[in-house]
Amino acid sequence: MTLTSLVIRNITSRRGRFVFTLLGISIGIASFVTFLSLGGSLKSEIQRESAALGANLVVTPKGSCAYEQVAILTGEQLPNTITGEEVAKIRAIDGMMAIPFLSERSAIDNRPVAVMGILPAETMEFKHWEILKGDYLADGDETGVIVGAVAAEQFKLQPGSEVTIRGERLPVRGVIKETGGKDDVTLFLPLPLAQRLYNAEDKASYVAVRVADIENLELYAQKIKEVVSLGVITDKQMLKSVLSIVGTVNVTLQLIAAVAILAAAFGIINTMMTATYERKREIGILQALGARRRTIFSIFLLESGLYGIFGGALGVLGGLVFSVLAAPQISSNHFTAFVKGSASSGLISPGLVFGSIAFSTVVAIVAGLYPAWRAAKLSPVEAISYE
Amino acid sequence: MSDTLIRTENLTKTYGRGGATTHALRGVDLSISRGSFSAIVGPSGHGKSTLMHLLGALDRPTSGAVHLDGTDLSRLDSAGLAKFRGRKIGFVFQFFNLLRSLSAAENIETAMMLSGIAPKKQAERARELLALVGLSEKADARPGELSGGQQQRVAIARALANDPDILMMDEPTGNLDSAAEEEILNILFELNQQGKTVIVVTHNLDIARRAQSIIRVQDGQIRA
Repeated sequence: MTLTSLVIRNITSRRGRFVFTLLGISIGIASFVTFLSLGGSLKSEIQRESAALGANLVVTPKGSCAYEQVAILTGEQLPNTITGEEVAKIRAIDGMMAIPFLSERSAIDNRPVAVMGILPAETMEFKHWEILKGDYLADGDETGVIVGAVAAEQFKLQPGSEVTIRGERLPVRGVIKETGGKDDVTLFLPLPLAQRLYNAEDKASYVAVRVADIENLELYAQKIKEVVSLGVITDKQMLKSVLSIVGTVNVTLQLIAAVAILAAAFGIINTMMTATYERKREIGILQALGARRRTIFSIFLLESGLYGIFGGALGVLGGLVFSVLAAPQISSNHFTAFVKGSASSGLISPGLVFGSIAFSTVVAIVAGLYPAWRAAKLSPVEAISYE
Repeated sequence: MSDTLIRTENLTKTYGRGGATTHALRGVDLSISRGSFSAIVGPSGHGKSTLMHLLGALDRPTSGAVHLDGTDLSRLDSAGLAKFRGRKIGFVFQFFNLLRSLSAAENIETAMMLSGIAPKKQAERARELLALVGLSEKADARPGELSGGQQQRVAIARALANDPDILMMDEPTGNLDSAAEEEILNILFELNQQGKTVIVVTHNLDIARRAQSIIRVQDGQIRA
């Protein structure tokens, strides 16, 4: 017999209460893990999209706020107010490459899909796509469509099939190899075609800029502002402001999880307090057998600690399962659509797993302090005389 | 001349404060010899159990002293008293003696665990002790699966776990039928023969008659 086996016997001899107390802490930790891992994948996804954009500077419509910056990264529909004249002025600046994009949305079989008007040759140079099937858009192609890998699979599109956008049937030329980003779920059209279909003649949503000399990024931003009256933002600034929004969302989610964990902690306190009353007689017997107050304290604290370890492990498992299951549901929401496909990446990190279990254990031990103190405080006679 | 194992000096115990005080013991002087079999008898509520709790280092007197095997118990702190109980004294109470979630053998092992004996040695000695009280085949039984007499035999085996000098029992046969009582008494007298000092709190005149010395407690005092 050891102290630990004594404690495990104590816990498991009252199975119903053991299970329900365990469920309390498990649910708390599960919600914590779910929110944390979804929040974490949101963040890593945004960083990846920012890298995939491949731009050092982004030119946005005047007065853009953080929401538009999120939309650039997520492929949401954007106001298309940048004119061809402005694009031409930007492109005339030496030492940098500037490409306009028209970001729109369409629906296939009632399911939303991102549509992007591009300049084929230059975009290819920007993004370094690889072609999985068929061909890329050739020079002068005014009707073709190329499709991201995930969208191709989702809507059963391949070279030779046709897709209807805004009532016009367009031939699919090729499929882009998976990039892991939002390009996978986007249909790409030649810019003039997209402008005509969406009644945005000569317009663009944003202009991505890559400068030759990264050291003078601010200088280029200044030059752009001199020739056009538009917003210019560096990739780092954009990332920072978008991540701060994500951070606010994450903090909110974690606060909700904290409330769940707090409730679970009181569940443990309740269980352990009941145990001190129920086991008063047993505490007396242990004291008569030579158990010191410190030993009684350890027995009770170990018991609540074990609730934390078991509950934490169960909660982490539940949370990870739930976030894998929940990710596709969340991706059907417009704002968080791009979480899709990222469910497996970076979600199950050892840090998150062990951190959560450690957290749960600490919470449980703190919750067990008062009941353990109460149990240890009992005098032997008081405990023995209790029937 | 037998040597004295326990000696008390003007032992008093008062419960409560102010107007509602109860004088459980009022100046008890007694001595108990090593290797004796003593019965503490007297009416209910007159201080028998209180006396046993004080002699057994489970409680502290309001005033007076207990000297047990040369140690003044009032000089020990709560951890010291616990250690003293674990090594020197084996207790058996009337009801619910055993830890219900543990088997018979594990109950005995727990007493040894608390004295810091290694698990392997615990299991070995638990087997020996169960054999001693005739319950070898019940080692894995939970208290709920044992009769009242069998539970008390396990409790006696557990009281012996750390080979104490003294066995203290509070009505050990109080809720047993006469056959089970006889079994328990036989074990106790045999242990006494082997040199254990036995102190029994009891209402049972039959036990008292068979004891070497009788300590009568009435109104918190010893009556001859």
